[in-house]
Amino acid sequence: MALIDLRNINKVFMMGDEKIQALNDVSVQINEGELTSIVGTSGSGKSTLMNILGLLDLPSSGDYFLDGTNTTSMNDDALSLYRNQKIGFIFQSFHLLPKASALKNVEMPMQYASAYNKDLTDEVIRKLALESLEKVGLADRVHHLPNELSGGQRQRVAVARALVNKPKILLADEPTGALDSKTSEEILRLFQDLNKQGVTVIIVTHDNHVAQSCRRILRMSDGVIKSEEHL
Amino acid sequence: MMLKKIFINSFEALVENKLRSMLTMLGMIIGVAAVILLVSVGTGAKRYITAEFESLGTNIIIIQPGKTDKKSSMGPPISSSKGKITLSDVDAIMRSSQLLSAVSGVMYGAGTVKYDISASNIYIMGSNDQLQKVFNINIIEGNYISKEDDDAGRRVVVIGWNVKENLFGKDSPIGKLVKINESEHRVIGVIKPTGDKLGFNVDEMIFIPNKSALRLFNTDKLFGIRAAAKSRASLDDAVADITEILKERHNGEEDFTIITQVTMMDSMNTILNMLTYALGAIAFISMLVGGIGIMNIMLVSVTERTREIGIRRAVGARQSDILKQFIIEAVVISVSGGLIGILISLFITYALFFAFPGFDMRPPFWIIPPSFLLSFFTGLIFGVWPARKAARIQTIDALRYE
Repeated sequence: MALIDLRNINKVFMMGDEKIQALNDVSVQINEGELTSIVGTSGSGKSTLMNILGLLDLPSSGDYFLDGTNTTSMNDDALSLYRNQKIGFIFQSFHLLPKASALKNVEMPMQYASAYNKDLTDEVIRKLALESLEKVGLADRVHHLPNELSGGQRQRVAVARALVNKPKILLADEPTGALDSKTSEEILRLFQDLNKQGVTVIIVTHDNHVAQSCRRILRMSDGVIKSEEHL
Repeated sequence: MMLKKIFINSFEALVENKLRSMLTMLGMIIGVAAVILLVSVGTGAKRYITAEFESLGTNIIIIQPGKTDKKSSMGPPISSSKGKITLSDVDAIMRSSQLLSAVSGVMYGAGTVKYDISASNIYIMGSNDQLQKVFNINIIEGNYISKEDDDAGRRVVVIGWNVKENLFGKDSPIGKLVKINESEHRVIGVIKPTGDKLGFNVDEMIFIPNKSALRLFNTDKLFGIRAAAKSRASLDDAVADITEILKERHNGEEDFTIITQVTMMDSMNTILNMLTYALGAIAFISMLVGGIGIMNIMLVSVTERTREIGIRRAVGARQSDILKQFIIEAVVISVSGGLIGILISLFITYALFFAFPGFDMRPPFWIIPPSFLLSFFTGLIFGVWPARKAARIQTIDALRYE
């Protein structure tokens, strides 16, 4: 059974009186352990697809089975729980809380998880957050604020945060868009390492070079997946 | 997320925005301090006036000529021409009622008193020997008017402290002759410094026998009667007795008004309670303003932190988590403001009390829990709307928000 199973997904936006079909009958399956990129120009529907994959947005029609469960019938609390437990997000502009230290940013997902898991005491949360930061090589930067860190370091904090609840899927939206080429390479290598450890990684990008680092490439345009490559 | 953790986060958020938090709190600080201060003024005034009344003794009965139908009023105007109370009424009450410890007719007027070249404008009170008992008048030198003085209408006078100081200075006035409105009286006593009693400044007064006073003012009409019941319990029965005695003597007509300390205190309390409520209502408005201030800032804060809300939702915060976060922030602001307001008002009232002990506006302690709760609920109520707004922001829109 596929980890991600999209069946006939449509997404329609209303822009004033104009109807925009952002996704048109998209069906795709992604298995556990894959390293996939979704590539397309702006307006191709890749970001919309990413938002639906990440349960940040709901499709207008169609079914999305995540880890065997149809998410389209879930209520908001259940979707929040799934985001918290099964998905880790990486954003182009990092999306760290600006006034919280690296450590606090990484602790945040576990604080929300502690509502479901009583084993996550403050001490455990602290310990796991430190471990997660150590894994991305930031053990000596835990008390820095985001604006005291370089772009690459910030993105590493974001990766540490995304991984701290041990999600099955890592969803990265233009993860290298705000980074120079050298740090981009480092981040992509980090993704590849994580993938080797068993995390399913999906990278959304317009950058062909980034896409080439993945084994499977889905090319989108006009709201449909036009082609698929396996490297 | 656990509530404790949200509280800690809220405190951190407040500390991160010190200036804004302080300004928001200011509304609450002023609101709560105003509630406590104004209620303190109300209760302080009430306490002062009540103490003033009770210093006269609570068993006093005041009989005035004339009648008003209004219950528990302060009696008819002094100049009321209807009804007439005379010395024989006083005698009748004295003879017939077993429930009174003292009865005196009173006569009242303004005049001058002269000794040598010194002269004072003073108030003259006519009374018999028993008024001393009714009003707890303390004599510091000599004696108060005796029964014989009154019966015979002797020209004797007991003078207030300030009158003595003005006319005689340090010398003893006993046995000296003074001229009251050109009529010579012998000084037989001096009253201990007393201050105000039932609207009169005793220190500025002189007391002469009733008969002398009637002669002085050339009338047979008394200003009224003052009596004291033997006990608080017998007060109502004593009033009934007096009413019966006087009605019988006045051809069955009730052309007089009896006021007791109790009815006076009742009407006074009604006024003072109204005052306290009115002050409380004004204070409540300032709470309202403080609450609206909190709501304003919270709405601004929600807009400013839209992206933070998006991030939190993306990593798994439920709508209820966001709702709790913003409500608790509002409550933390208002409760902190409330506590500071309580401390400030306590500081002000106690500082005033220690600087001017006569000016006792210390707040009653029962006001503190409700003002604290009021600040808590103000934060809660005015925090709900911004928090709901925050919780309902679409995650995807919040993440894109610049």
